[in-house]
Amino acid sequence: MTNTPTPSGSVDATKVQPIQRVSDDDLYRHSSQYRMWSFTPEQLAQKRVEINARAATVLETRVRSFLEQNPDLGSDEVAAITEKAVPVTADEEVLLVNYFARMLLTFATKMNLPTEVAATAVTFFRRFYLNNSVMDIVPKEIFYTTLFFACKSENFFIGIDSFAKKTKSKNEDVLKYEFRLLESLQFTLMNHHPFKALHGFFLDIQNILQGKVDLNYMGQVYTNCKKTIMEAILTDVVYFYSPPQITLAALLKEDEALAMRYLDLKFANEDSPGVLHLETLRTVIVACKDTMSANAVPSKEQATRTVAKIHFGQNPLSVVERMRRQRESASPP
Amino acid sequence: MASSSQFKQLEKLGNGTYATVYKGLNKTTGVYVALKEVKLDSEEGTPSTAIREISLMKELRHDNIVRLYDVIHTENKLTLVFEFMDNDLKKYMDSRTVGNAPQGLETNLVKYFEWQLLRGVAFCHENRILHRDLKPQNLLINNKGQLKLGDFGLARAYGIPVNTFSSEVVTLWYRAPDVLMGSRTYSTSIDIWSCGCILAEMITGKPLFPGSNDEEQLNMIFETMGTPTERTWPGVSTLPKYNAQFKQHLPKDLRAILQSQTQGTIDPVVMDLLYALLQLNPDSRITAGQALNHSWFAEYYQ
Repeated sequence: MTNTPTPSGSVDATKVQPIQRVSDDDLYRHSSQYRMWSFTPEQLAQKRVEINARAATVLETRVRSFLEQNPDLGSDEVAAITEKAVPVTADEEVLLVNYFARMLLTFATKMNLPTEVAATAVTFFRRFYLNNSVMDIVPKEIFYTTLFFACKSENFFIGIDSFAKKTKSKNEDVLKYEFRLLESLQFTLMNHHPFKALHGFFLDIQNILQGKVDLNYMGQVYTNCKKTIMEAILTDVVYFYSPPQITLAALLKEDEALAMRYLDLKFANEDSPGVLHLETLRTVIVACKDTMSANAVPSKEQATRTVAKIHFGQNPLSVVERMRRQRESASPP
Repeated sequence: MASSSQFKQLEKLGNGTYATVYKGLNKTTGVYVALKEVKLDSEEGTPSTAIREISLMKELRHDNIVRLYDVIHTENKLTLVFEFMDNDLKKYMDSRTVGNAPQGLETNLVKYFEWQLLRGVAFCHENRILHRDLKPQNLLINNKGQLKLGDFGLARAYGIPVNTFSSEVVTLWYRAPDVLMGSRTYSTSIDIWSCGCILAEMITGKPLFPGSNDEEQLNMIFETMGTPTERTWPGVSTLPKYNAQFKQHLPKDLRAILQSQTQGTIDPVVMDLLYALLQLNPDSRITAGQALNHSWFAEYYQ
């Protein structure tokens, strides 16, 4: 016999359980994603207003001192500066961040990066602007930094040289704000994207609705849900809802009948319904779905306008230079 | 956000997987900390090992896992500020050597340490994190008898299924046979094997399988635990580095081997746990949660 002696009675189910059974919900509540990056809509709005106000004050002070240091400016020039070199609003910030977040996703997809890396990059990018204003660091400056950092954080190795080459950027520009990013993320880098929940739910749906669903159709639903979740990552639902809630909302959006049949059976089968009632869950995921759908996609024009506004705010002189250039080209010598 | 001036750097404590660790004093609070200094490679920015460790340590808040308090950035280095622990299990066991003879720890201490080790590991696994480098050097202890898992430089989070990990992890002596044979689908069982090796080492004071290369390591394991076959471990022959020419060994009496290396009588109950941890087939190894339910630990949960 080459058999290793097997333990006898090492695990006795009838014994007292010293370890409390920890539910997945408990685990999620311990995660940094829940502890530090989940907000009520009011908290989130306030956070954005504060970030914006702080940067706006800095900008306004800078513009005032620029005007004081340049007393020889013409009155029309002063008027132009006062009009153009103004802070962007909190709403403009959000739109701009979301615009670039979407670009980041498109870019990551073009680079053939794994879904998780793309999702993490988007998440990091958006979280960065919950602690910084676009007036402090413009999105362009942190764009590739986030993507490179997301690769490292998700164990998807790309060397800086090949990354810089692929993104047509300079190594030092990619790395310049890396620590600032890490710090702004408050050193919490672990993400729980809804894709894992999606996988889990699909295995469970096939189990619960065995023989009642067409597998090819389910494959199609899965693919579409994955796309919906990618879209959801660009919205504020990630701050308000847990990954499984977002997943169920995506499923609801894709095929409401399927989602409800699954949940009905699931809750009917459940031995111990627990604290969560089906009605409560339904209300939550419907609300999540509505928030997801209500998300406005920012236009390129809006984004360009905001970028220009930031530029003038940061460089009041450029307002004057632009005026002078326009004046010169209007009246040739 | 702490700044580096807040800490006074004291003596060097050792080298981690990718950094140097110093003892430090928080000048504001008077509390000792461990400062893990990571050189910032100007080429690649923050090393991914550091990013990985920060990422995991920020999620893991548990009594048996060392706490990461803060991260400080100075010009060319990143400093991870950890909870300070007086000692590590390796140094502690070394300090108890009499002459050249290693000494096992008292049964009560072995039990308390192993309990805490398994609690820390169970918590990691519940959070879908593999430590992958459990060894006495990475188990930090203090004079209150507390034990905490440290050095998550090789750790990583896993989804399901786990199938793309490198097989080059875990210091050889604590490396599971499936990993040694090139399995890339390992999961939580990889840490459990290490917990078994560490348990045996605490009992005798000597490493259980101190191999110096992969081949020797496997042979040492088989010499004691028996060479696995398709019958004892279905699927073993499909592992990349399985060799039909492995030297055939019959399992030996592990208790007798350990007993010959220590003076105290070894409890048959701990042997039952040890065998459960040291199952060659990873699928037969118990989980950390199950191990904590083992009757050897009855006094902690009654």
